[in-house]
Amino acid sequence: MSQPRRRLHPWLLSRWVIVPAVLLILVFGWNLNVAMNATGEIRGRVVGPGGQPVPNATVQLFERSFVVNTEKQRTTTGTDGRFRFEGNASHAVQLQAEAPGLGKSERTTLRLLFRAQDADLPAPLVLKP
Amino acid sequence: MRRGVPWLRHAVLILVSAAMLLPFYWVLKTAITDENIYAYPPRLLPQNPHPYNFVDVWYLIPFPRYLLNSIVVSLLAVVGNVVLNAMAAYALTQSFRAKKLVILLLLSCMLIPFQATIIPAYLITARIGLLNSYLGLALPLLSTIVCIFIYKSAFEAVPRSLVEAARMDGLSEWRIITHVLLPLSRPAIATNVILAFIWSWNSFMWPLIITRDADMQTLPLGLARFLSYMEDTTGALYAFVCLVLAPGILVFLMAQSAFIRGLTHGATKG
Repeated sequence: MSQPRRRLHPWLLSRWVIVPAVLLILVFGWNLNVAMNATGEIRGRVVGPGGQPVPNATVQLFERSFVVNTEKQRTTTGTDGRFRFEGNASHAVQLQAEAPGLGKSERTTLRLLFRAQDADLPAPLVLKP
Repeated sequence: MRRGVPWLRHAVLILVSAAMLLPFYWVLKTAITDENIYAYPPRLLPQNPHPYNFVDVWYLIPFPRYLLNSIVVSLLAVVGNVVLNAMAAYALTQSFRAKKLVILLLLSCMLIPFQATIIPAYLITARIGLLNSYLGLALPLLSTIVCIFIYKSAFEAVPRSLVEAARMDGLSEWRIITHVLLPLSRPAIATNVILAFIWSWNSFMWPLIITRDADMQTLPLGLARFLSYMEDTTGALYAFVCLVLAPGILVFLMAQSAFIRGLTHGATKG
């Protein structure tokens, strides 16, 4: 004798359940993504006017608030011109590099999708005399 | 029988819809770009769209807190309207002395703007100790007269014999409302949900008056605060507007057919 099939309650298939459920799944997925990629690491490169890597250049990281950008960290580049910041807690930062004799780069704004997102600077900071 | 050219009718409707949706599109387009809305010539399509204005809004002000406050207050208002209005409307479908006077009083109350009653409303809320609380924020919208009459017309459309039969079966008045009338009045429930949600979601003056802590502010107050910081027409301001609008639009889209049926329920009776 076959068992009668259990059917879902019609309310479970209504849009009032499905839409909030989909939203909850999206929020959960997004938060999972944030948790897995939020160590606050920012990587980049500093190059000279000719495109050559600049070692020992000083790179400053400015954190954006409503109206001002405040310096939060600074670091120096390695022999390959690369730098790395750790523990950034902002969602929008500015980066600027400087090296004695080679000048300064322009301030580059890096906007992130969430606070402390790990990110690579898409283009190197170019020093100009 | 309908006459005329169907495609022409649809073309006109599409044009009118596009004209009505254009401001919403412009707000969204500005929110996902950093374009100046006064730029000339205006660009119809967004250039280099990005989501960063929404990120700015989320982090530069306590947006999650405002969102939570608005959701809690709106849910309270929705529950209050669905339950209390049903009870009031059921009472108005019964026969009792001075019923017409009560209806007249309710209708005349609709003529008084909320701004005129805001001081007594504040004093009452203060007296019962609900200032700066979620319940106090939702209090004036827990029951609205328009929604009572929407329920009333829906309940009157239910055959009287059904209610009498339920009463003879021994159902209490409360169970008649919950087990007989409300299941047959879904469009009216949807109308109550949408109207209560949108009115409480957009409410500005009442929260402005009774909240004392920034932590208790709702989204419209947050928008005003954000506007005071971001005076120029940046995309972040429009991103904020989009985030404030989105839940109301979502709730409306989810219940629009029932909403329209609820509003036109009494119009076609007889």
